[in-house]
Amino acid sequence: MPNRQSWRAWLLLAPGLATLAVLLLYPLYRVTQLSFQDFGLRELNLGGAAWIGLGNYQQLLEDERLWQIVLPNTVGFAVVNVALTVIFGTLVALLLFRLGPWMRGIVTTAIMAAWAVPAVTGTYAWVFIFDSRRGPAMRLMDWLGLADPDTTNWFDDRLTFFAIATINVVHHGFPFVAVTVLAGLMTVPKDVIEAATIDGANAWRRFWHITFPTLKPVFAVVTILSTIWDFKVFTQIYLMPGGDGLNREVLNLGTWSYITSFGQQEYGLGAALAVMLTAVLLIITVLYLRVIFREEEL
Amino acid sequence: MTSRTWSGRVLTGVATALILAFTLFPIYLMVSMALDARANDGKRKLLPTDFTLDHFSFVLDEGNFATYLRNSLIVALATVVVSGLLALLAAVAVARFRFRFRTSVLILVLVVQMVPMEALVIPLFVQAKDLHLLDKLLGLVVVYVAFSLPFAIWMLRGFVAAVPKDIEEAAYVDGASWGRMFWTILMPLVAPGLVATSIFSFIVAWNEFIFALTFMSDESRYTAAVGLREFFTAYGNDWGAIMAGSTLITIPVMIFFVVVQRRLSAGLVAGAVKG
Repeated sequence: MPNRQSWRAWLLLAPGLATLAVLLLYPLYRVTQLSFQDFGLRELNLGGAAWIGLGNYQQLLEDERLWQIVLPNTVGFAVVNVALTVIFGTLVALLLFRLGPWMRGIVTTAIMAAWAVPAVTGTYAWVFIFDSRRGPAMRLMDWLGLADPDTTNWFDDRLTFFAIATINVVHHGFPFVAVTVLAGLMTVPKDVIEAATIDGANAWRRFWHITFPTLKPVFAVVTILSTIWDFKVFTQIYLMPGGDGLNREVLNLGTWSYITSFGQQEYGLGAALAVMLTAVLLIITVLYLRVIFREEEL
Repeated sequence: MTSRTWSGRVLTGVATALILAFTLFPIYLMVSMALDARANDGKRKLLPTDFTLDHFSFVLDEGNFATYLRNSLIVALATVVVSGLLALLAAVAVARFRFRFRTSVLILVLVVQMVPMEALVIPLFVQAKDLHLLDKLLGLVVVYVAFSLPFAIWMLRGFVAAVPKDIEEAAYVDGASWGRMFWTILMPLVAPGLVATSIFSFIVAWNEFIFALTFMSDESRYTAAVGLREFFTAYGNDWGAIMAGSTLITIPVMIFFVVVQRRLSAGLVAGAVKG
């Protein structure tokens, strides 16, 4: 009964697809439309908006801040964080794989706990740790004589600001990598590893010659997903001191778009930034899809 | 596979200790400061000396945190129910039926899952304003359902597909209708997956920050994640209160998460790797 079957399938799908259409696809269209309009507070309250074509994009592309601050902050941060998250997560997975079942259970639980910490509260905890006056990290550096709490504020400087954000984001992101890679490690045939060990291959060679090629799809997936997450990082930056627009040096695409829209009420301009962010992410998503589809048919 | 050499064992032990310290330190700091009477003392030790529950009673009574937590709970539970139901129906459709455009639907679900919430906050804010959904908990529920739905469909699809078709067919042979088979055979077997998916949706809604920040200007409508900002003031940050509020937000989610960790990670791997 192919006809009846597909009729029933579409009936089951309808509510979900309708929700996605109204709340994700339409806003996606709308944000693109807004990016071509001069849409400010007046337009928000009274409706109607003037079409200005590529005006918003032109304004952004001519803005020095885009090239000197926002893009380097966004791309640089994503590259560094993805690399650190994937490497650290993989090392943790390899360690978990060596541990006995009891210790593995404890460490996995701790990792899950770190994963579960909401971005908001996790960020506040790290902000406190690096706080100028009371933070344990600053007090440790003070005690070691490496920093003076009276003159040092790590949140003011672009590099240290993002270093702290990196610790926060890696702490939040590595559990996913560790758990996924560990699940992958369990599927690597034991006898192949043992044979390689008998043949005298050390751990480094075994990883690059057996584990890595076998788990390539797993690594591709965790790398692409981490890239997507780290590119659009917002909450962890916005909630740090100065991250909400006060410190112009630490803006990224996400926070700049938000501040332009909701701080300066230039919704059209903010939408253009949001479209740029989405475009980058969609390109990465296409890569992601290609990886998945190469593996298996849906 | 345990290490064979003595030095290897020491190395493993040290690495394990360092990882535990890195993962747990922020959580330890949060909880210990929430319980420490000297939390706002610049000279406080890492080990709390004066145990107190004052920070908790302060945030709940004077800090309005009881209201914020209630708002968060209402929003999260409503999101779980609606998105769980919609996702289950859709997951059954894509896992159990063969129909035209089935693959297209799956690709659509995957692609929209990648659409950044952050990029849609502007159009959704304008839409919510036009529909008078700002400052209403319903507005947040609607948004969170949309954002948790693609992942929920993707994950539940794996759980539904894992149920052997033979069991279903046996039910048909016994004369059960499709609806009866769905409720008596499929539902109980998919229930664990539904629990895992629900917890995921709960966490999405409970933790979300940008929309809660943007949609709510009336303080009595704040969710806990946004309400926490109230303790950062121009006169200085009340760290004891911030950490107490943070603990109240973090601990329930953490318990949930650790309890379902196996299912969730199995689902993630199945969803992410096996396609």
